[in-house]
Amino acid sequence: MAAKKQKAAAAEAPRARNSADVIVLGGGHNGLVAAAYLARAGIKTILLEARGELGGMALTADIDGVKAPMLAHTVGRFRPRVARDLGLAGSVRLVEPEVRSFAPHPRDGSSITLYRDPKRSAEELEKRPHGKETAHGFMKLDGRLRRIGAYFEEVLDGVPPSLDGGKSVAEMLAGFAFRKPFTDLKEGDGREILRILPMSAADLVSEYIQHDEHLLALLAWRGAIYNAVGPMSPGTAATMLFDGITGDGADGGAAGQTVVAIGGPGALATALADAARGFGAEIRTSAKAVAITEQDGRVTGVALASGEEIAAPYVLSTLDPKTTLLGLLGVEATGPDLRRRLRATRSNGVTSKLNLLVDKLPTFTAAGKGEAAQEKLRGRIVILESILGIEKAFDASKYGRISETPIIEALIPTLIDPSLASDGRHIVSCVVQYAPAVLKDGEWDEATRKSFADSVVDQLEQVAPGITNLISARQLITPADLQNDWGATGGHAMHVNEGFDQFAQWRPLYGIGRYETAIEGLFLSGAGTHPGGGVTGAPGANAAEALIRTLRRAAD
Amino acid sequence: MAERYNAIVIGGGHNGLTTAAYLAKAGLNTLVLERRSILGGATLTESPVPGYKFSVASYLVSLLRPQVIRELDLAKHGLQMAPSVGTYTAHWDGYLDRRTDHADTIREIRKWSHRDADNYDDFKQTVTDITRFIRPAIDIPAPDPYGDPHEWLAYAGLAKDFGHLPLRTKGALLDLITGSAYDFLSRWFEGEPLVGTMSASGIIGTFLGIKSPGTGMVFLHHYFGEIDGSFREWALPQGGTGAVATAIANAALFHGAKIRTDAPVRQILLKGERAIGVVLESGEEIHADTVVSAADAKHTFLEMLPAGSLPNDFERAVRNFKFRGSSAKVNFALDGLPTFTAAPPGTGHLMGTVSISPSPDYMEKAYDDAKHGHPSHRPFLDMLIPTLTDPSMAPPGKHVATAFVQYAPHKLAPEHGTWDDIKESFGDLVVDTISEFAPDFRNKIVGRQIMTPLDLERTIGLTEGNIFQGEILVQQMAFNRPVSGWARYKTPIKDYWLASSSAHPGGGIMAAPGRLAALEILKSKAGDE
Repeated sequence: MAAKKQKAAAAEAPRARNSADVIVLGGGHNGLVAAAYLARAGIKTILLEARGELGGMALTADIDGVKAPMLAHTVGRFRPRVARDLGLAGSVRLVEPEVRSFAPHPRDGSSITLYRDPKRSAEELEKRPHGKETAHGFMKLDGRLRRIGAYFEEVLDGVPPSLDGGKSVAEMLAGFAFRKPFTDLKEGDGREILRILPMSAADLVSEYIQHDEHLLALLAWRGAIYNAVGPMSPGTAATMLFDGITGDGADGGAAGQTVVAIGGPGALATALADAARGFGAEIRTSAKAVAITEQDGRVTGVALASGEEIAAPYVLSTLDPKTTLLGLLGVEATGPDLRRRLRATRSNGVTSKLNLLVDKLPTFTAAGKGEAAQEKLRGRIVILESILGIEKAFDASKYGRISETPIIEALIPTLIDPSLASDGRHIVSCVVQYAPAVLKDGEWDEATRKSFADSVVDQLEQVAPGITNLISARQLITPADLQNDWGATGGHAMHVNEGFDQFAQWRPLYGIGRYETAIEGLFLSGAGTHPGGGVTGAPGANAAEALIRTLRRAAD
Repeated sequence: MAERYNAIVIGGGHNGLTTAAYLAKAGLNTLVLERRSILGGATLTESPVPGYKFSVASYLVSLLRPQVIRELDLAKHGLQMAPSVGTYTAHWDGYLDRRTDHADTIREIRKWSHRDADNYDDFKQTVTDITRFIRPAIDIPAPDPYGDPHEWLAYAGLAKDFGHLPLRTKGALLDLITGSAYDFLSRWFEGEPLVGTMSASGIIGTFLGIKSPGTGMVFLHHYFGEIDGSFREWALPQGGTGAVATAIANAALFHGAKIRTDAPVRQILLKGERAIGVVLESGEEIHADTVVSAADAKHTFLEMLPAGSLPNDFERAVRNFKFRGSSAKVNFALDGLPTFTAAPPGTGHLMGTVSISPSPDYMEKAYDDAKHGHPSHRPFLDMLIPTLTDPSMAPPGKHVATAFVQYAPHKLAPEHGTWDDIKESFGDLVVDTISEFAPDFRNKIVGRQIMTPLDLERTIGLTEGNIFQGEILVQQMAFNRPVSGWARYKTPIKDYWLASSSAHPGGGIMAAPGRLAALEILKSKAGDE
C-alpha cells in the first residue's frame, strides 16, 4: 500500500538527474549485476560507486605492464543463468584448466594433483601410501558432494524461504532446506545434508579419508579459505558444499572449482557494466554514499559525500551489511536490537592478497619440468601440510597475531591466459591466510607488511627454489586495506564470515536474510547475503529480482 | 533352562534404572544388569579417600526431568536436592560473585561493566523466552524428517508458535542453534569474567572452543535446567550424584524390578533378526522379550552385537558418531576451606559453583591446546564444595572439593604417551591452576582422585571418556542422535532398544532418554497386542 503511494510519488516527481526509482550502492560485480537486472526490467536505476573504478573486489590491476587479478583471482561460481539473462555470452570467456589444484608438500617433496576428472585424481592418489583406500574414499566423497552439490546449485538462485509460514515443523525444516529441490533428493542424500550442514569440513572429509593427512588438509581447506575459521570449526562443511556445487555449468565435487575469466576478473566487471549501461542504468564512480535517508521507516534516497542528495523510493545496497545498516543508517531507523545483533556478526577478515610479478615462470620442484609441469601449475597451487597446521595458522589470528606459516593458495593466471602478459613474465597471485585486520601488537606499517610478504615468499621458496630472485614487483593487500580502501567493515573479502552460522536466510542475520529489510524500500545484497561471497553474481541477481517483484506488486 | 524376563536393561546408570523403573511400573518383569559392583554409571558417589565421599564423575543436577521425579515418586525414594546458590568466578584483578539475589547480581556485574549490567535483564528475558519455547522438545521423541507425519503432530504447536515468536527471539534462537556461545553472549556482554564463565556452558563435554560455531547449541542444552519448575537452576543432590541413582534404583525395586550388579554382558543373543536375550561374561544366558541397552552407541551397536548383524549404512553411521571426550574430573579431600585471594568476606561465595574461567581468551587458549592434543596448560575448572551444603560428605570440619576439568583431550599428541603416563602431573596442573587464585589450596589437600578421560572410559564405560555418551553437536542432536532415521530408541535389531544418552535428547542427569525409551517400548508392546 505504502509502496504503491511511493511508486506513484516517484512517477510524478520530475525526472531530474538527482532522482531514480532505485539506487544501487556499490559497483562491484553484485552491484553491477543488480543494476543490470533492474534496468533490464525498465526501472530507472542509478548505481553509485565510491571508488574511482568499477569492479569492487573483481579488479584487474596493472603491475608494470602485466595484468594481474588484484583481489579475487578465480570466478568459479559465476552463475550461468546470470550470464544468460544479461547476454554476457559473447563478452566474457571463462576457462577451466584440467588441473583443479596442485599441492606441493612444503617439507617432504611430495605433491598431490587433483583434476577436473575425479577418476584421474583417484588414479594419482592410488600411487600414494594407503593409496587404494584413499582413492576409494575420494571417489565416494566426490560422488556424495556432487549429488548434494546438484541440490545446492538449485538453491543459489532465489530468495531463501521463510521459516515462519510453515504449518508444521516438517514444513519449517523443509523450508529451511529449500523445499522443492530438497524433496527431489534421494532420502539418503537428504539425510546427509541435514547432518552435514552444521559439521566441520575436517570431520566431513575424515569420514572418507583416514590415512592421508596432506589430502585431508587440501580438501578441508575449501571450507576455510577466505574466512576466519579453521577446517575444524563447525559450519565449514557448508562452505565446502557450496564450493562443490555441480550442475548448470558448475562442476565442483571434492576438488572444488577453478575457473578464471579471460582478461582477468576486471574483464567480467567491464562486461557487466557494459550490460547495465546497455539496459539504461546510470553508473557513477567516485560517488560515495554517506547516508541512506529515510522518513518514518521508509527510504527516501541517498546522501553523497559531495553533499548531493539523490531521491529514490528504493535502495539496494551491495555494501557490507554493517556499513549499510550501522554506517549509513541511524538507530532510529534500525532499532537497537538489530544493531546489537549485527555488531556481533562475524566480519573479521583474515585473508590477504599478495601479487608477485616474476621475470619468468618459476620452477616448482614437485611439479617436474616441461609441459607436464605447466599443466599442474595451471591449477590452484596450495601450500599446506595438515589440518592441525591450518588450525595453528588460524590460532594466531584469533589473538590479533599474524600467522608465522600462513596458508597460501596461489594461481598463475598468466599461464592460463597468455593475453595477460606478452613478454614471458608471469604473475603469481597468492591468497594468504591468516592475518587479522587489527593487530594486537603494532600496526600494518611498512615494516610489518614487508616481513609478512617476505614470510610468504620464503614459504614459496621452499617449494619453488629460486622464485625469490625472479620477483620484480610485489603488491600486498591486507585485511586492513580491504577495510580502508574497499570499505569492507572488518576487512573481510566475503563481507561477513561464511559458514553455517551465517547462512541462507540467516545471512547476515535472521530477519534480514531474504534481501528485504524492516526499513521499507531498503534491500540488502552483496556477499553478506545469500548465497554469500565469491564472484557469483547471485546475491545481486536474487536481490534485484526480489525488488522487481515488490515493485510489480506495488504497481498492480 | 535360562532365566526369562519380559525385559532386560543393560547398564545400571541413571538412564538404565529409569527405563527399568518405568517398565516395572507398567507391570513388566524387568531385570537390570550392571557390569560394576556399584550402581549409578556416571551418576556415582564413592569414597576412594576413606571418610570422604566424592561425586566421582557427574557433579550437578539440573536437567533431571520433573516428570521422572514425579512419576517415579523419587522424593519418597530418598531424593533430596539443595539448590545451588550461585557462581563465583576468580579473576587476576578481582572476582565476580553472582548469587541468587537479582539486585546483588546486577551490582556485582556493574563492577566489571556498566553495559553488561544494563543488558543483563534483556539477556535473561531472551534466554528465558527461548528455553520456554524449545524445552517441550526434550520431553518428546525426536520426529524424523522422513518419518510418519503423525510423529510431527506433537511438534506442530511448536512450529506454529515459532511463527508467532517476536523476531528478536527467533533470531536469538537461530543464533544459538548455529553460532558460538561466545558470539551469542557478546551481543550483550563484554566483562571478562562474566563472558568467560557464561560461555563455559557452551563447551562442557564437547571438543570445541567457546568461539566455535555450534557451542551455542551446547549452551542451550545447559539452559534447559529446571528444578521444581524454576528455570536454569542447578542443584546438588544430598549424598552426591550417586544419591540420584540410588533413589531411581529404589523406585525400580519398589515396582518389582530385579537388579544384578557384577553382571557384565558379553553379547546380545539374536535369533534371526531379533534380540532374545543376553549372554553374560560368565557364560550365563538370560532370555527376554525385550532387550534395552543403556550403554553408549558404540558399546550398544559395535561391541555387544555379533559382527555383521547390522546393516552396513547403519554401522558406518555409528562409526561416524563422534565421542571425543574432552574433560577430566579431579576430586579433592581437604582438611579446610581454601582461601581465594580476591573474594568477598565469609564463605558464601564457595557455596555454589567456583569457576576458573577468568576471560574468553583464557577459555579459547585452553581449547587451542586441546586441539593440538595437549591437556590445557591452564584449564577451565568448574569446582564445587558440596560439604558446605551437605556436611555428611566428609568427616566433621573437613571438606570435599570436586573439580570438572576441561580440556583433557582423550586423544593425546604422541609426545605425551598415554593418560596413565601423565595422570599425576595432570593432577598437579589442576592444583597449580586452583592455587593461582587460592594459594593455600595446595596445603589443604589430604587426598585426591583423578579421573582422566581414559579412566572415565575404562571405569565407567564412557567411550573416549565423553560424559554425554556422544558429543553434543548440532549434527548429533534430535533426529540425528545417534543415527538419522534411528533416533526414536528403536534399533535395526527387532526387540533391541537404546535408552542411553547416545539417544535424544542427550546427556546430563536428565533421565529423559531412559524415560522416553521406556514409553516407546510400552507403546510398541501395546501396539503388538
